[in-house]
Amino acid sequence: MDTPADDEGAPAPAAHGEERRRGPELEGEPRLRRAEDELRARFAEELQEGEETQDRVAISREAIVELDRVSLAFDRPILENVSLIARRGETIVIAGESGTGKSTILKLILRLLRPDSGRVIVDGEVLNDVTYEEALVIRQKMGMVFQGAALFDSMSVFENVAFPLREHTELTDDEIETRVREKLEFVDLDPDRVMEQLPAELSGGMKKRVGIARGMAVNPAIMLYDEPTSGLDPLTTGTITRLIMKLQRELKVTSVVVSHDIRSAFRMATKIALLADRHIVFFGSPEDMTASQDRYVQDFLGGV
Amino acid sequence: MAGFLASINEGAKRRVLAVQEYFGLAAKAIRFIVARPFYIGDVVQQMDAIGVESLGIVLLTGFFTGMVLALQTSVQMAQFGATMYIGRLVTASMVRELGPVLAAILVAGRVGSGIAAQIGSMRVTEQIDALNTLGVDPIKKLVTPRLIAALVMMPVLTILSDTVGIGGGNVIATAYVGIPVGLYWRTVWEQIASGGFILHYIPSDFVQGLVKPFVFGGIIAITGCFFGINTKGGTEGVGNATTRTVVVASVLILVVDYFLTQVLLFLFG
Ligand SMILES: Nc1ncnc2c1ncn2[C@@H]1O[C@H](COP(=O)(O)OP(=O)(O)OP(=O)(O)O)[C@@H](O)[C@H]1O
Ligand SMILES: [Mg+2]
Repeated sequence: MDTPADDEGAPAPAAHGEERRRGPELEGEPRLRRAEDELRARFAEELQEGEETQDRVAISREAIVELDRVSLAFDRPILENVSLIARRGETIVIAGESGTGKSTILKLILRLLRPDSGRVIVDGEVLNDVTYEEALVIRQKMGMVFQGAALFDSMSVFENVAFPLREHTELTDDEIETRVREKLEFVDLDPDRVMEQLPAELSGGMKKRVGIARGMAVNPAIMLYDEPTSGLDPLTTGTITRLIMKLQRELKVTSVVVSHDIRSAFRMATKIALLADRHIVFFGSPEDMTASQDRYVQDFLGGV
Repeated sequence: MAGFLASINEGAKRRVLAVQEYFGLAAKAIRFIVARPFYIGDVVQQMDAIGVESLGIVLLTGFFTGMVLALQTSVQMAQFGATMYIGRLVTASMVRELGPVLAAILVAGRVGSGIAAQIGSMRVTEQIDALNTLGVDPIKKLVTPRLIAALVMMPVLTILSDTVGIGGGNVIATAYVGIPVGLYWRTVWEQIASGGFILHYIPSDFVQGLVKPFVFGGIIAITGCFFGINTKGGTEGVGNATTRTVVVASVLILVVDYFLTQVLLFLFG
């Protein structure tokens, strides 16, 4: 799957980051370079840790999450003809103004909502056709981190992270504890300190991290994040961003991240989808985005 | 005019859909009672919340209801010189009607609203979505344990309420009217026996008195869960859900009580 021949022409695999960085220079297109330099200057701090960004795991061409001409209306149309592909190992960031339907897209992927038309495909399964019970099973391939973390407030941190394990695995109590500790350590929390705490006793950033630990407890192939960094200070935002990248790098998960934090989007995204006025107005790499001539895209970036 | 009719039509359609959804929820919750996995911890916790926490108010109101029943009947009976039948009247009213209905309405206020508030706040903080996302049916995890707990605890609370109520009647009958304790309880037993027995041993009054709280318990749990799950619009929505639960559950209890009574009278006389 990941042979160079296979990947020819696709904006993808191992060397992808390198290529992406050099591409414009080789072509010697001054406008592009200016845009890149500008971006570099603006995000100098992030690019220092650039290894992380460039060091991407191999991305296969196999689509694992796909929206195919999806339309959805509540009392008014929210999404029209929205198409989106995340290939295995990619990190897709969905950006856009408030109320444009970003969370709705995640809910469609989770089949918490069904589209009026178009198809949603996750790991080869067309979600339109599956029953509620089948959807419960398919959802186990996905870990979702909610905007407000959505931890079960009547359960301790330990019980929250252990919950999906108790539900869906045959692990013994000891194995569950080991796994919970491992996940909490992965998100940089001290298991001994937080395990017995209740969600109400945690700070916003800690809640988000417990949310991530719970989402990844059963080692899903896909992680979905709804505004993982909103409402957090810049430092914690950096920590969470790095965490999402670590998950992608070390565990090779595919991520779909909803965020209007363009800084962290540029840091972690393989591709950015910009949602505006019911449509995807841009879908491409961060570099393509800075290079875009589109007024709206430029305005959106200008608002950084 | 057309717009007005259309909006009435819309409203009616929404009602019908809501009723359909209500019964759908009830049916699913009932089906899950016998399906694995069983959330026994949740059931026990809910029994504690429903039973133990409502015990105080149910006993208190039961006691005073028994006393006021005795007081009222003693005045009426005195006109016919039949005050020795106070026990029979208090028992008949408590066991068949007032015990179940009063306890249920109190529990609807105390527990039904609590269920709606808890599940409603889980809805608005996306915890219900989180359950779904983690591959767990919220009805199974949240509704069924509350339903089981209510189905079990409501009859228990009602028996206690009945007993305390009849005891309250005893206090008044003895203190005000001067009926000896022994006589009072003999008339209580006469009343219970007069309804006949099912399977030789179980007084049919008891059966009637326990079918009702069982049904009421179901109404309370399902109504609370229904409005909780359908909560919309943040914390304000949670407030609405609790209010509606109390109103709808209380009305349903009183309406269903009438029809149940008809059915039970038809069956047991
Ligand atoms: N269940 C629903 N019923 C009716 N309208 C809804 C529902 N869910 C979302 N909407 C509407 O759909 C639109 C998109 O909602 P969504 O939550 O997807 O936006 P968003 O892009 O995630 O916004 P934000 O950045 O504020 O989270 C909003 O206008 C919202 O009011
Ligand atoms: Mg949102």
